[in-house]
Amino acid sequence: MTVIALPRRRLVPGWGLTLAGLVALELIYFTLSTRHFAGHGSGMLALTEQFSPTGVLALGLAVVILTGNIDLSAGAAASLSAVVMGVELQHGWNLVAAGIVAIAVGTAVGLFNGLVIAMLGIDSLLVTLATQFIATSLATSIGGENPPYGFSKSFLRLGTGTVGAIPVDLIVFAVLALAVVATVTRTAFGRALTLIGYSRLAAEYSGITTRRTLTLVFTMSGAFAGIAGVVLAAYYNSARADTGTTLLLPAITMVVLGGVDIFGGRGRVGEVVIAVFLLGYLTQGLLIEGYSSLTATMVTGILLIAALVFKVWLGRGTGESFISAAQRLLAKRGRPARE
Amino acid sequence: MVIIVIASTAAHSYFWSSRNISFILADSMVTTILALGETFVMLSRGIDLSVAPMMGLSAVIVGFRVQDHGLTLVPAILLGIAVGLALGLGNALLVAIVGLPPIIATLGTLSVYGGLQFVITGGRQVDTVPNSFTDLGSKLLFHGVPRLLILGLVMVGITGFVLRHTVFGRSVYATGDDAEAAFRAGIPVKRTLFFCYLICGACSGLAGVVYLMRTGSAVATTGTDNNSNLLAIAAALIGGTALTGGRGGAVGALAGAVFLSLTLAAMVFAHIGAVWQPAGVGVLILLAVVGDPRTRKLAVHRWRFRGRRP
Repeated sequence: MTVIALPRRRLVPGWGLTLAGLVALELIYFTLSTRHFAGHGSGMLALTEQFSPTGVLALGLAVVILTGNIDLSAGAAASLSAVVMGVELQHGWNLVAAGIVAIAVGTAVGLFNGLVIAMLGIDSLLVTLATQFIATSLATSIGGENPPYGFSKSFLRLGTGTVGAIPVDLIVFAVLALAVVATVTRTAFGRALTLIGYSRLAAEYSGITTRRTLTLVFTMSGAFAGIAGVVLAAYYNSARADTGTTLLLPAITMVVLGGVDIFGGRGRVGEVVIAVFLLGYLTQGLLIEGYSSLTATMVTGILLIAALVFKVWLGRGTGESFISAAQRLLAKRGRPARE
Repeated sequence: MVIIVIASTAAHSYFWSSRNISFILADSMVTTILALGETFVMLSRGIDLSVAPMMGLSAVIVGFRVQDHGLTLVPAILLGIAVGLALGLGNALLVAIVGLPPIIATLGTLSVYGGLQFVITGGRQVDTVPNSFTDLGSKLLFHGVPRLLILGLVMVGITGFVLRHTVFGRSVYATGDDAEAAFRAGIPVKRTLFFCYLICGACSGLAGVVYLMRTGSAVATTGTDNNSNLLAIAAALIGGTALTGGRGGAVGALAGAVFLSLTLAAMVFAHIGAVWQPAGVGVLILLAVVGDPRTRKLAVHRWRFRGRRP
């Protein structure tokens, strides 16, 4: 199969650059306003521990959203993996075996999503809404009344340890981010999933096995959720059933802030990575300054809306007719205007 | 769907006591009213993820006015609706005027309104609501019929009438079915969308007051902590309203909400732990969408050649 060249029209020139600029501004602001923020340089790195798991979740979601779908169950799948990991460790499992099984559980949730969505052709929002509920219940019942806590030192290194000055979970995030960027931009699979998001009809007519690709994409998101869950368990030194669920909204915010079109087909994973840092540092900075976590969430929401209003506003006057613009914006899944 | 309700009731004979049923019905009214608002939005091919904090904010604001300033019943309901309208206006502006995708706009307002709710409560909570409120929430009108059910039925009636028999209602269906066709047919698509989100806000506001009547309390996490969002969407979905717009109705929202409450209550009766309740909702959603052949994207012609009208 020849490589398909997608028409890439950049709505906003240099969105990634804008984001990077914002990150720099934010870091400078917090360094100046709060003495503890920079912590001689290493503190800033150590802060990434707090949002690396969310970042991992966002990577998986970015791939799903690129295909024009959504995975609401990612957070719950992460919780499930965290709980499974915790219970296994309490029963004295070997670290590697426990990790593999825990990640496999997350992957299984993703695979189930993928199969139902691709084979039965049901909207991903509905399916993952349902599996979110199911995974949460599973996690709560497996965790039991007293969620497992107090793991061995060697496991905790994954969540809070460092190599040199770099936190281990930042390394995990970086490796996964590179892998996703490479997959999306350099492989046939990546091309296929972007094309599906751009136009499923065109993808089908050009001989892409859309069902297999979609199944794989959701499985991937599940696997990433699994990894995030394991890291979370190591970070908190406990495995509560709600650890991952609260990360879903920040993760989606990161993806959208990173410029991925919610209708699919447009976006760069690299920019999502920058958005992860932007949002992560913003939240942590606000928390250090003494704002409540809900205020931080509120700022996140405002940022999300502001970024999108800005983008839509800039996107005006690009020669797009009103009807096609209206169609694109009204359609929830963006089916019209692409075919 | 009716069959399942009968089956689940038949399986537990003690389940069919009038007291229990009326309790369940009264309980489902909050979800029903939320689902009614959500129905408007979903019919227009949108989604509103912010109904939970809108409801919570309304419950908290009204609750404090009632508790500290002795607000009476009718002004309280009006205030609740006004709060909902104001919050819905935010969504309406973002979606209809600015043109953001609904899922993202309301995801953003979900965070913003949730934070606002926390700021307003400031750690306090509403716990002393006068009897005039809680009576309406828990007392029965006559044997087996809770007063709230009447309110819910009136709301369903109004919504059904608006959707079926007014120009606006038909515009909502047309917009959701095919926005471009609606636009070309001279339907004010933007205005229709705008009012859909406004109505959804008002319904959420009313649901907040009803929640207050039902439970007599409200805290910073009311609404967001028990998945009201997803319950509302699930109720509308189970009631047959399509996420892809243009299909569904008011009665479906009622049926979905009651069915949801019934099943959850049946699970309690069957001694299934509370932890499995979310799973029950999840399985119900899956069954509802898998069982409904119309939700499937058969080939690619689904949305284009859908001749069916509601």
